[in-house]
Amino acid sequence: MSRRRLNVNPLDYSRKLWMRCAMGFTFFFLYFPIVALIIFSFNDSKRNITWRGFTLKYYEKAFNNNQLHEAFANSLLIAGISTLTATVLGAMLGLALYRFRFPMQGPYEGIVHLPIVIPEICLAVAMVAFFATVEVPLGLVTITVSHIAFSIPFVAVVVRARMAGFNRALEEASADLGASQWQTFWNITFPYMKPGIVAGALLAFTLSLDDFVITFFTSGPGSTTFPIKIYSMVRFSVTPEVNAASTVLIVITLALTTLALWVQSKSQRNESNA
Amino acid sequence: MRQIKTSYTRRNFLRTSGVAAVALSFGGNSAFGAESLNVYNWDTYIGDRTLADFSESTGIEVQYDLYANLEEMFAKFQAGNPGYDVIVPSDYMLETMIAADMLEELDKSRLPNFKHVDPNFLNPSFDPDCKYNIPYFWGSVGLGYRKSKLGNVDSWGALFDNPDMAGRMAMLADSRFVMGVALLYLGFSANTTNPDEINAARDLLIATKKNLKGFVPDSGQDMLISGDIDLVMEWNGDILKVMEEDDDLTYVIPKEGTVIWIDGLSIPKGAPNIDNAYKFLNFIHEPKVKAEIANTIHYATTNASAKEFINPDDLANPAIYASDEVVAKSQALSDVGDSLKLYDAAWTEIQAS
Amino acid sequence: MENWRNNKIAFFILSMPPTAWLMIFFTLPLAIMWVYSFADRGPQGQIELAINFDNYIRAVEWIHLGIIWKSIWTAAIATAITFAIGFPLAMGIAFAPPQWKNPLLLMVILPFWTNLLIRTYAWIAVLRTRGFLNFGLEWVHDKINAFFALFGLTDVLGQFEALELLYSHNAVVIGLVYVYLPFLVLPIYATLEKLDKSYLEASLDLGAGHWRTLFSITFPLALPGIISGCLLAFILSMGTFLTPDLLGGTDSEMIGNLIARQFTSSRDWPFGSALSFLLLYFTFIVLWVRATMSDRNSGPVK
Repeated sequence: MSRRRLNVNPLDYSRKLWMRCAMGFTFFFLYFPIVALIIFSFNDSKRNITWRGFTLKYYEKAFNNNQLHEAFANSLLIAGISTLTATVLGAMLGLALYRFRFPMQGPYEGIVHLPIVIPEICLAVAMVAFFATVEVPLGLVTITVSHIAFSIPFVAVVVRARMAGFNRALEEASADLGASQWQTFWNITFPYMKPGIVAGALLAFTLSLDDFVITFFTSGPGSTTFPIKIYSMVRFSVTPEVNAASTVLIVITLALTTLALWVQSKSQRNESNA
Repeated sequence: MRQIKTSYTRRNFLRTSGVAAVALSFGGNSAFGAESLNVYNWDTYIGDRTLADFSESTGIEVQYDLYANLEEMFAKFQAGNPGYDVIVPSDYMLETMIAADMLEELDKSRLPNFKHVDPNFLNPSFDPDCKYNIPYFWGSVGLGYRKSKLGNVDSWGALFDNPDMAGRMAMLADSRFVMGVALLYLGFSANTTNPDEINAARDLLIATKKNLKGFVPDSGQDMLISGDIDLVMEWNGDILKVMEEDDDLTYVIPKEGTVIWIDGLSIPKGAPNIDNAYKFLNFIHEPKVKAEIANTIHYATTNASAKEFINPDDLANPAIYASDEVVAKSQALSDVGDSLKLYDAAWTEIQAS
Repeated sequence: MENWRNNKIAFFILSMPPTAWLMIFFTLPLAIMWVYSFADRGPQGQIELAINFDNYIRAVEWIHLGIIWKSIWTAAIATAITFAIGFPLAMGIAFAPPQWKNPLLLMVILPFWTNLLIRTYAWIAVLRTRGFLNFGLEWVHDKINAFFALFGLTDVLGQFEALELLYSHNAVVIGLVYVYLPFLVLPIYATLEKLDKSYLEASLDLGAGHWRTLFSITFPLALPGIISGCLLAFILSMGTFLTPDLLGGTDSEMIGNLIARQFTSSRDWPFGSALSFLLLYFTFIVLWVRATMSDRNSGPVK
């Protein structure tokens, strides 16, 4: 089987018209409301309903709103730390569940997956009752700890699904060739896990960044996050200021990720040239 | 270390916005600086300059945190005060928190500005003699509607008994307020604990439901201005905002009376900075300060002396200040104790039917 | 699978940290709620510890079971549609040229980094009677009418009738599909990526068409990812409360709304806990069954 053939035909589904149409439709579905959101950030009205002309004043307002910045910074900090920790712990859990057979496996699996199932508000109340019992003051730390707890199973599920296709013979071969367990893990298993880890980390980041209920209950003085800010504004109306802030966030993430991908692809090219 | 606390002076926006600053405060915020105050309130429910002015005149740094829902705030306090000095519960929630022993009794000698409170608000049913709160702002639920479609509306009947408008109407998604209005329309108390009356209100709402587009949380005014519906039961403040943009919309409190809400400033038990909380409560009730807040958020103040500084247009606007006659017929919600279960069951049936 | 006894050190290193974290910061808090589910509600919503089953008895009343059933149905429909949309997307990304995979993945997740509430409000602006979707449809409708008018045919399509999409069950389903799409796409993508393509090659070489290959080779090979993704989307849809709240009509209440209300306006934590645990027991059994089944299957396959 030539390498060339594998890469181009006939499995290159992404070049097929029907696949491109399907993907195009899905991306349209995904971005239609986002475009609506961005358009309304320029709307000269206090409400996101009818178009009243173009303005940049909501961007100015968003840029001058300290509270919004602080909420953003809190959200990003929490999401960053919790994603990192939850990805490591979740990947370990996923790998353990994939690899080992052990007593009480059924109930164990049931329990570690419960954070996905349990209604958010029930978990939130449970967390606040728990932190009160052990007398931990509420704040950024308690929010982060809770986010990690509910993100772990999501990462584990994705990593485990990924590992299901792994060929254990590769690990055995590596061991036969004299590699230590750690070397085998690092050189064989981990590279295979990577897409699962990336996918899991993306989910964990999304969950943490957007969580309101659990964040609200586990927050203390000085730990307002972006979702808390937005949900609180709703009682007195959602202004285009929030749309403006969201648009800025989209542009920033887009720019940063494009940059990161560009750097990555460049370094890869350098590597393969060397 | 003082500057890493959020402060509302515009000058230090650059200082507070850095991620690094927040990272420093990761270990918890309350310990820095002796003079601080933690306020827990809705977002945008205070004047633009209020907190900065307070900090300037007293040297106390204010940490302003937000909740999105009174019930969630209460649920959080049920596990203990997380460190707040001032909270802003409404009527029935005040009663609940008083009964649950969550609030400090206010020492009026430390609140000289209490004398400015409008006498109408001094003895509410939910907190006789205002022992635990200083009234902050008040408002109502009523009908927001499109004049060109409905002419003049003066009764809740326009909502409950108007099949011609089927599919062009909506109601709030707040169970106690919706049930309360239905009870008032039927001639009962909005706080009844009589199961038969509660069931009658339930049946009325089930019958009304087929004419409604939905029970909507905080978006009825959007549906109204966009033309999706022509009549909605909503908060006065929300309708007021769309009235500014569309002359054809108006707000009325029907003749049967309505359910009003009164928010009060309170100090929760376990507040770490009680002295500063008193200073804050007193400062807010300075007539000029209160008027500045009212002119920013356009809600009806409970401060009689502040009225001379308030925008006359606001004072004349029936969507902000209702007439005394209407207010006399209206009720604030009170804590119904165990009967809340009946309300919950009725609401579940309304939603499921 | 390997017996844990063969490699105790690796087993403990892998499983202990996440287990400890979940035990302390999840199971312990949950145990408190479990105790609450047998408690009584005080007049102000306080918890009065007791041991009674009233809350569970109330939870299985017909009206609540009806709501649970409706939630299961709604979640199932939403999951099916999510799968129909999400699987081709996952496949498209997995089979894309390597340098495109990560950018595409990011494009899928990016909309979800804006706030859920703001996104849902954006959907309201799109779906409402006088929203973007209806404006778009009306424009197309008018153009078609104008086109036929060129041939002297007036009003071929008649007057434009706006679609009443918002505040209905359909709107809830659309909202759920939108919100939980990445939870289905990412696990499926993770399994499809690096799927041993020689199997697919072989299938095609042996004369099977693309559809046949898809159904008899790709699906079975991607099954772990498909099951995980669908379970995530289904479970999350079932517990949601914001989407039915904002997009639903007068009868769209789901179990998530009922539970959320017990912890907020009805202030009945014991009943809310009992409802939550009912949901937990149900899912626990499903997961357990799935674990034992995959246990049996995983032996001789490889």
